[in-house]
Amino acid sequence: MQPVLPEVEAASPADGIGKSAADVVIVGAGASGSVAAQRLAAAGVDVVCLEQGDWAHTADYMSAEPEAELAWVQRWNPDPNVRRNLADYPLTGEADIRPVMYNGVGGGLVQWAAMWQPLLASDFKVRSLDGTADDWPIGWDDLAAHYDAVAHDLSVSGLAGDPALPEAGGYPNPPVEIGRVGRSAARGMDRLGWHWWPGANAIASRRHGSLQACQRRGTCMTGCPENAKAIPSLTHWPAALAAGARLVTGARAAQIPLDERGRAVGVVYLDADGAAHLQRASVVMLAANAVGSARLLLLSTSARFPDGLANSSGLLGRRLMQHPYRTVTAVFDEPLESWQGPWGQSIYSLEFAETHPDRDFVRGAKWMVMPHGGPMFAVAEYHEARRQHGFDALWGENFHRAAAEVFGRAFTWGIQAEDLPEDHNRVVLDPAVCDGSGLPTARIEYRMSENSRRMLDFNLARAVEAAEASGAVETLVRGVWPTGIGHVLGTARMGDDPATSVVDRHCRAHDVANLYVIDGGVFVTGGSANPTATIMANARRVADCLLRERAAVEVPG
Amino acid sequence: MSEPRLDASQRAVLTRLADVLIAEGHGMPSASAVDVAGSLIDRCLDAAPVLAAPLGALLEEGAPEAPEGFARRLAAERPDDFAVLSTAVVGSYYLSGEVRRLIGYPGQQPSPVSVAGEPDYLDMLERVYERYPGYREAP
Repeated sequence: MQPVLPEVEAASPADGIGKSAADVVIVGAGASGSVAAQRLAAAGVDVVCLEQGDWAHTADYMSAEPEAELAWVQRWNPDPNVRRNLADYPLTGEADIRPVMYNGVGGGLVQWAAMWQPLLASDFKVRSLDGTADDWPIGWDDLAAHYDAVAHDLSVSGLAGDPALPEAGGYPNPPVEIGRVGRSAARGMDRLGWHWWPGANAIASRRHGSLQACQRRGTCMTGCPENAKAIPSLTHWPAALAAGARLVTGARAAQIPLDERGRAVGVVYLDADGAAHLQRASVVMLAANAVGSARLLLLSTSARFPDGLANSSGLLGRRLMQHPYRTVTAVFDEPLESWQGPWGQSIYSLEFAETHPDRDFVRGAKWMVMPHGGPMFAVAEYHEARRQHGFDALWGENFHRAAAEVFGRAFTWGIQAEDLPEDHNRVVLDPAVCDGSGLPTARIEYRMSENSRRMLDFNLARAVEAAEASGAVETLVRGVWPTGIGHVLGTARMGDDPATSVVDRHCRAHDVANLYVIDGGVFVTGGSANPTATIMANARRVADCLLRERAAVEVPG
Repeated sequence: MSEPRLDASQRAVLTRLADVLIAEGHGMPSASAVDVAGSLIDRCLDAAPVLAAPLGALLEEGAPEAPEGFARRLAAERPDDFAVLSTAVVGSYYLSGEVRRLIGYPGQQPSPVSVAGEPDYLDMLERVYERYPGYREAP
């Protein structure tokens, strides 16, 4: 099926918001786009941001209602194929793990757990250190100041000094109380002599910046009704808009047209009525996440780029990484009030995050402790772990065992595995299925590697030991989550060699001089850390690079 | 609240199916004892409208005389349909104030954070600091 693209020539560059030519047009108002928009606008750059979704208003959350747990069923489910908002595009394909995302102002941060976790220093150089995958063209030092600055902007609460990480500038707020859940988990790690540290979270432990103090509702991933969790609509867009940035919602990017010299002219987008518009700009920045940005580039074919824009390497869309994820739930015979939040990371561990010569896999996993939610979560966890026990063990009068044994008495160790890049894991255009605007949607082709399976098996066994050392009377082990945890990385690899990467170290496309990709797609490897800190820090780095070098950027004539 | 999405006959079927899934026991009431098929299912479907159409269709075919066999067949042979039924029943059951009182669940209520004073885990953190070899340097 041929892509159904709008008539670019019919687009009218009329005056008005989103239509007059801009210095920079950004596609996507999520983690990376928000940082870049704020940074550039504050420096006087004329920025237009195109966002296919709308604003998520605090009043829309269900988190303060008795029905809060039911928000997961549909309205605030992280899977666009379940949620099916107008702004969502379906994700197709047979994949071991299917990505999840939120499409709207704030992007995935609307539903993130706000875990703030910089990459390890070693994560940038795994080829040099471990002989696997590839080195990044940049290192920890290139991002250090940006990690600190974004942590401040997001009102991160945490405790500095973790010996597993390079020294950094600290956090603006003290850590959120780790609660009975965190203390229980920490006791187990202490007995085993394993690394742990209080979790850093972009959740304000006290009123700070644009955020209110956390009230521990535990509904972080379905929307914080207190505005205590950092999302760009609170932390970045007010300042960006005040500085003159223009944000166009309901604008679905469809194509990046080129001029005769091969420079991006701007972005063609479709509004809610399906009308096509051309947003002209001197510089185009893609910040639509590793699936969305790759999809837009693949949609932007031309005689010069028949396989997708900026794809002379053939790597566009490839090397998709997702952080395969499993959990061990530790059940105790004492109350832990484990429905209480925040549902960030209470504590985390990097004990098994590095390669070890005695293990049958390379690289490692990050662990994090989380609360366990309300009774619906308890039932789901109990049933998942005991599915093989049959109907009578789970239903009838035995239904009540789940709440009696698990609810309020459990915490979860989440095990997040580093997913190494493989060319066959990729985003392609679906030949048959379109989004609501008639554009071919993204098909995900992803198979989890044997290295990741071994890594998860090893870490699960260790996490069971940790749970037992904490005093757990029972552990509930779940398989690999078939829908991901919102970490989509690596479809537009950063590198110095145009033959083996899509963008350069400044995240500028090798093939198109005024085109940038600034989201998680540029990750060379994924590390085991939650990626948002690095995505946002890197976006800030790229924005600063552009500000320094904008005079040298080639623009359409 | 929107218009009720289930009619009387569908609610009657739901009552019987819900009791197959959640029977009285362990000091807890059955689904029908807290009237899951009444206002609770309406609240549940308002919160998760995606359940309404498939649940309604299931209740049209659910044999009132043999609810247990029907529920077991769904679980064994039609897992997606069983997921709709069980999610609706469990979600509605835990909206009951009486059920929440019995299991000690106040809901996702606010509970202000205290950051005053030193955390009580610093002794354990000292030990982490002492034994950890330091982060792995990159070239």
